Amino acid sequence: MNVRAPDTPGARRPSVSRAPRRPWSGLAGAPAAVVLMVLAGVVAEVGAAAAWWAPDVLPAPSDLLPAAARIAGSPRFWQDALRTGAELLLSCVFGVVAGLGLGVAFWKAPGAGRVFEPYLVSFYAVPLVLFYPIAIVLIGINQWSVVVLASIMTAIPMTLNTWTGLRAIPPVYLRLAASIGCSRSQTLFRVALPAAAPYVVAGLRLGVAYALIGTVAMEFTTAQAGLGYQVRYLYESFDAVGMYAYILVIVAVSVLLTAVLEIAERLLPRGRDT
Amino acid sequence: MSSPGTGVVLDDVRVEFRSSGRDGPVVAVDGITQEIPAGGFVSVVGPSGCGKSTLLSVIAGLRAATSGSVRINGRTVTGPDRDVGVMFQEDSVLPWKNVTDNVRFPLQIARVPRAGRPRLGPGHRPGRAAARRRIAQRAQEAIDLVGLGGFERRYPAELSGGMRQRVALARTLAMRPSVLLMDEPFAALDQQTRLLLGAEVRRIWGETHQTVLFVTHDISEAILLSQQVWVMSYRPGTILDVVDVDLPADRDASVVSTPRFNALHNRIWERLRTEAMRGFAQENRFPA
Amino acid sequence: MSPATAPPTRDGCRVTAGSVAVAVIAVIAWEIASHLSFVIPEPLDTFLALGRDLGDPRFLAGLRETLLAALAAFVLAMLIGGPAGLGLGLSRRARVVFSPIITMLNGIPKIVLYPVLLPVFHLGYGSKIVMGLLFGLFPVLINTAAGVREIPDVYWRLARSLRATRWQTLTRILLPAIRGPLLTGVRLAVSLSLVGVVLSEFFATERGLGRIVLSAYSSGDYAGMVSTILLLIAISFALSLFLWRLERRVR
Ligand SMILES: Nc1ncnc2c1ncn2[C@@H]1O[C@H](COP(=O)(O)OP(=O)(O)O)[C@@H](O)[C@H]1O
Ligand SMILES: [Mg+2]
Repeated sequence: MNVRAPDTPGARRPSVSRAPRRPWSGLAGAPAAVVLMVLAGVVAEVGAAAAWWAPDVLPAPSDLLPAAARIAGSPRFWQDALRTGAELLLSCVFGVVAGLGLGVAFWKAPGAGRVFEPYLVSFYAVPLVLFYPIAIVLIGINQWSVVVLASIMTAIPMTLNTWTGLRAIPPVYLRLAASIGCSRSQTLFRVALPAAAPYVVAGLRLGVAYALIGTVAMEFTTAQAGLGYQVRYLYESFDAVGMYAYILVIVAVSVLLTAVLEIAERLLPRGRDT
Repeated sequence: MSSPGTGVVLDDVRVEFRSSGRDGPVVAVDGITQEIPAGGFVSVVGPSGCGKSTLLSVIAGLRAATSGSVRINGRTVTGPDRDVGVMFQEDSVLPWKNVTDNVRFPLQIARVPRAGRPRLGPGHRPGRAAARRRIAQRAQEAIDLVGLGGFERRYPAELSGGMRQRVALARTLAMRPSVLLMDEPFAALDQQTRLLLGAEVRRIWGETHQTVLFVTHDISEAILLSQQVWVMSYRPGTILDVVDVDLPADRDASVVSTPRFNALHNRIWERLRTEAMRGFAQENRFPA
Repeated sequence: MSPATAPPTRDGCRVTAGSVAVAVIAVIAWEIASHLSFVIPEPLDTFLALGRDLGDPRFLAGLRETLLAALAAFVLAMLIGGPAGLGLGLSRRARVVFSPIITMLNGIPKIVLYPVLLPVFHLGYGSKIVMGLLFGLFPVLINTAAGVREIPDVYWRLARSLRATRWQTLTRILLPAIRGPLLTGVRLAVSLSLVGVVLSEFFATERGLGRIVLSAYSSGDYAGMVSTILLLIAISFALSLFLWRLERRVR
């Protein structure tokens, strides 16, 4: 518990929940993760071979991997992957820009921030997918209804984290900026945002993860294309191996994305003892 | 020693804070009329919460006085001035910059020293590389001056509290301000480090002859470092006493055992004791 | 010092009024939009549709099923995620082995696993409860583990110096110390369990509000669809808001 500095009376500790909190650090466990995944694969193979379960419940990895490879070679797959990738990219760009802007705006006008805070906290990203049926009525079953909602899902953690990070800046940094004659934009871009960077980067990681989860979930609910849509389509056409192959691809993409974001988050705030 | 109108001149400075309660504004600083001659070294002592930081931020132009005025080298203060360097009470070294980049930062903001010729047009920046070289050189001089040579590439997280305050000092000195305002810069450090850094400040002042206002709550530190000590009262913060420190200019820490030092110490402490107790009683009656 | 611990201030009331005003403005914008586009139902019609639905026993059965499934998912998420998070926070070895896999699993769009669950847990309650559990588990687990990791070392030394038993250490020191992050996990788990269940129902189910939403969508009953979605959102919103306020109070 820090003692409040005497010259910051009434300084409010940020009340938002998402401090950049990670219970672990270091990638020492990566081999363990690989071992666990291989183990799961072996169990699946043995179980399928010994007919512990019906083949449509969980096909053997030896059937699945060739199917995944075959699918990865088909143009249909690349169309879907492109569609999902484009939706994801657009949502991330829109969401991150909007979130950064809103976070800064709420920091400048704390009253506005506190007015919107309950909504941001309660709609924290994922529940927004419940609006998807409304979005397809308004916008249509196309990529834009997905992009709009996924952008908002990205923007919310980005906004909250940027705002929290800016509020957590030691006030003395801003007095320093004033004393050396920083302009408003210099104060924002060279002092405030770098000081808030650990929070902003954590928000980015969460935002991108939510964009992926939201995009796939919405495609899965109703769409005409995309990786999530294919899972549904293949499920409904009783193609268990094909469906599993797509699920495998989605899982692989999300694992890759998660790993990249985790590593980026660790590399970026260099020189800090976080 | 100095011509009139130079240095720092405080004229009836008063600062009020609107309080959230119903009991009217808090008067943090009141009726302060004092002068620091150019090249002078003055310390301010007072109980915590008496308005030392507030007074300093008014002089630094970071906060407007409710009434009264401050003049520095003849000019009335209306806002922050690059000729006035401030060192803050809190750790203000930026954790994402290494030592060199921290020290260069204010120089980069100020683009110091400004290119002599006006810009010829967009894209044409005469002497950009030269300016960068000058900034690098100035920063290095400041780093060497405070004894941080060899630590240039270190990040603040790798430095002790004392080293970080050295970085802050170098950053302030790199601007070569004519007035140096220091707000309890070493309050968070241990006694030995504090003595060492105090001696450094005194040595640097001996070389640069800047006008220094040094805030502390440590009476010994105030006497050791300065030519004059202002004793402040608790809320409203007024100057209770001005004590000239008539100790030899080349004093070192051994001066604390002299009778003269003791006499000065006792005089200031007598002044402060009642104030400190009053402050303590008030703070505990109205929990912040 | 935090505004939540103090009695409601004028400032706090003004903020609440502002939040309510935002909602009112949103409804007005909705009203205007409903006159511009025929697919948008009017707020009043939507409200009436909700009244109509709440009198319909089939709707109520769906509501009951969805809420029960979400409740079960939430309870399971707490029962599994809480202790697992504690273990993960306390044991370095467990962290090294499991943290990367947990991070990865957390990043997967879990809803695509629903077709995998269906043959195992069947179309009734089973599959959607498991899906809700998958949604709600990770926030509890991760926040609990993080909370335990952030406990200042001096607390453990205090416990040892007082010769506290394991049980006393858990109930008197550990749980109070992590109540903030734990509540964050609870808040996220509540709304995510519900979302997991409803998303499952969007995909395939026999009963439940998710199904009702989709059938209203396909029959063009947009007022019924919007009112059902808003009911779900309102439930999740109210619970989150309550837990969020609680969270601000305890820290
Ligand atoms: N921004 C502010 N708003 C209200 N009161 C303040 C503010 N800043 C300082 N104060 C009050 O003014 C008094 C002087 O504060 P300060 O100058 O920081 O004292 P010191 O530096 O001597 O410890 C204190 O009682 C403090 O509570
Ligand atoms: Mg102070």
